[in-house]
Amino acid sequence: MISVSPDIAKIKNVVAPADLTAEQTALQMNDLSLFYGDKQALYNIDMKIPKGKVTAFIGPSGCGKSTLLRCINRMNDLVDICRVEGEILLEGKNIYDKDVDVASLRQNVGMVFQRPNPFPKSIYENVVYGLRIQGINDKRRLDEVVETSLRKAALWDEVKDRLHDSAFGLSGGQQQRLVIARAIAIEPKVLLLDEPTSALDPISTLTIEELINDLKETYTVVIVTHNMQQAARVSNYAAFMFMGELVEYTDTNQLFTAPEKKKTEDYITGRYG
Amino acid sequence: MKDWFKSGSPWIWMTAGAVSISLISVIGLLVMIAARGLGFFWPADVYEFDVTQEGKTQTIIGEIYDREQVPAKRLRNMGIDLGDHQEEMVERILVKTGNREFVELDFRWLLQTDIDKTEKPAGIGVFERSRNGNFYGYVEQVIQDGEIVDSQRLEELINRAVDISEKAVDLQNGEIGSINYRLEKMRLEQRALELENKLTEERIAEFDQEREELKAAYKEFEKELFQLRRALDRDEVVVRDMRGEMVTLRIAEVIDVHFPNDMSTLDKLGRFFIQLGKFVSDDPREANTEGGVFPAIFGTVFMVMLMAVIVTPFGVVAAIYLHEYAAKNTVTKVIRIAVINLAGVPSIVYGVFGLGFFVYMLGGSIDELFYPEALPNPTFGTPGVIWSALTLAILTLPVVIVSTEEGMSRIPSSLRQGSLALGATKAETLWRIILPMASPAIMTGLILAVARAAGEVAPLMLVGVVKMAPTLPIDGNFPFVHVDRKFMHLGFHIYDVGFQSPNVEAARPLVYATAFLLVTVIVALNITAIGIRNHLREKYKSLEH
Repeated sequence: MISVSPDIAKIKNVVAPADLTAEQTALQMNDLSLFYGDKQALYNIDMKIPKGKVTAFIGPSGCGKSTLLRCINRMNDLVDICRVEGEILLEGKNIYDKDVDVASLRQNVGMVFQRPNPFPKSIYENVVYGLRIQGINDKRRLDEVVETSLRKAALWDEVKDRLHDSAFGLSGGQQQRLVIARAIAIEPKVLLLDEPTSALDPISTLTIEELINDLKETYTVVIVTHNMQQAARVSNYAAFMFMGELVEYTDTNQLFTAPEKKKTEDYITGRYG
Repeated sequence: MKDWFKSGSPWIWMTAGAVSISLISVIGLLVMIAARGLGFFWPADVYEFDVTQEGKTQTIIGEIYDREQVPAKRLRNMGIDLGDHQEEMVERILVKTGNREFVELDFRWLLQTDIDKTEKPAGIGVFERSRNGNFYGYVEQVIQDGEIVDSQRLEELINRAVDISEKAVDLQNGEIGSINYRLEKMRLEQRALELENKLTEERIAEFDQEREELKAAYKEFEKELFQLRRALDRDEVVVRDMRGEMVTLRIAEVIDVHFPNDMSTLDKLGRFFIQLGKFVSDDPREANTEGGVFPAIFGTVFMVMLMAVIVTPFGVVAAIYLHEYAAKNTVTKVIRIAVINLAGVPSIVYGVFGLGFFVYMLGGSIDELFYPEALPNPTFGTPGVIWSALTLAILTLPVVIVSTEEGMSRIPSSLRQGSLALGATKAETLWRIILPMASPAIMTGLILAVARAAGEVAPLMLVGVVKMAPTLPIDGNFPFVHVDRKFMHLGFHIYDVGFQSPNVEAARPLVYATAFLLVTVIVALNITAIGIRNHLREKYKSLEH
């Protein structure tokens, strides 16, 4: 069995996801299905994602966990043949409603990708990109946001002397933290992390994991990972997905120590995937 | 042997050979053009030949222009007496004798067998004149204002004359040209008011008064001009030519004199660069066979830049639509193929289109709408630099579209998604991420476009290029940039000098020199663009994923 980090294990009386009240819920998915053309990728998913916690999606490759994550900020809209049924409520509002402005939705739901993707600009400009998009150009305000975001992303001390150098001069791990800083600079409510450490070395991974732990103070974090140790280390809640279905969703401690479903147990004990 | 084939060596040899051949031909081309063209500016030695032809002996002075070997048999068959010449071939030299107004031919072939004596005497002067080409001869007397002065002062007097005539030209093109320009503007203004039935007695009086003022100013300048011309006529130089006769040359007509046989190599080098500078900066003279090519350089560069300014936004915008917004279906594919194929349409076809559509339809309509007062004289309804630039812009549009699209598709989609995930709309992503990152590719398209456009001549002959443009497209008269004017172009200049010139022999080195200059201009334009592109590339160098 995978050891669960002690601070999470310490928490008693963890609320089961299904019992979350409206206030404790950041996102609620109701009967969510997704199709690529004729092929169905997600099957009737119902889940509540808690506010101010880290929720991990785990499962074997191709199980639909990234697809589900991308539904939350409507990144799947970029795929022409993609079609979504059901709803995702963000603060009670269905993000798939016709009157929803996708750009402002994405300002509320930030995302960090598998590989670091800094823009070919300076470190400073990378961080303020989202603000500039919102039309904020006040130098003092931008400076302030750059410092706070980089501090939150645990990158400030490493880059404070070269803010105006190209972001490409950073190492992979630094770039990924820069991308996180960039995402939190616009103060989203929800932060989506799509396998944020899969392209990084173990030390960078550790830094990012510590960062995620800090981030949940301020943000609702949803993380996709196929590294189960990582899920166990960083998350409060975990969802196991298989073949586009949500198999089991509960608090991380329980999922890893006493899974209810056979499939979950097989997966976390390493019988497949 | 079989092993040798198997090893792949023949393949390497073949490919390397192909590269070498290409390289050699490119370098050979450049070297030949450069040598022939630049050689023209090197002050050649002047020889004095004593020649006996058909029993008559005469002296011929001139530069050796060319040499060739002719079979003796052929000459004998033509009835030419070669004396006791034994060898199979006879050398024949082409001599440029100048002095065009006194001899029938200023270029003459001399058979080596006819030449009794060749020498390179000191003191032969080469006079470059503003008309009738070069004059070769010995300076006998220098006359300043009717009095004989020291021959050493010749150069000083020539410089004075050159200064005065430059002033006269400046006056004529500058002040007097400006008055003429304003008079014409006023005539058009008056005509426009007349057409609109707004011409009152008062206005006419105003116009008349203004006209009187301009005419008075004109008179003043005219007087000044005549004074300059009189001053110019003061001095003369007497030269003994190859016939032994004394010829009086007006110093006003002499632009320059040099004594090549007395010059050291260093002097010659200095003169080489001065002549080269003059070629690049002077106006052409004598039906383009003498003088410089400055208006042609200016016209070429101006037209190409105007074209670049037009083609870049158009091409980029079209590429954005094709790549970003157009549905990915058959229609788009067909459009893309059609665009690419446009690049293969012969350029003269674009010229015909430009003449029909831009000049006659568009220009004609502009004239009717905005310049009715000038009709029936066309303003825009006639070939001009703007129509040339537009025609070439269409010609090069496919290149820009294709390379821009290619550049856009090379941008990693992760950056696009990164921008969208931060709440940017598609348009914002395009402006802030995609276009800056595609800018090196856009520059590549522009480089190809410029290279193609600067070398095109055929379409321009229909839509704006002329043999001799009296004014540049940019001058001191409001609105300073006159895109309706006709212009000169290096490519057309080559054609004109080489094939339309009254003196092809004299113009031949100019053809090479102009060709070399055209190549230089294109290379310079390209290097500038490549410099900008490399800078952009460095700036937007993407991550190596």
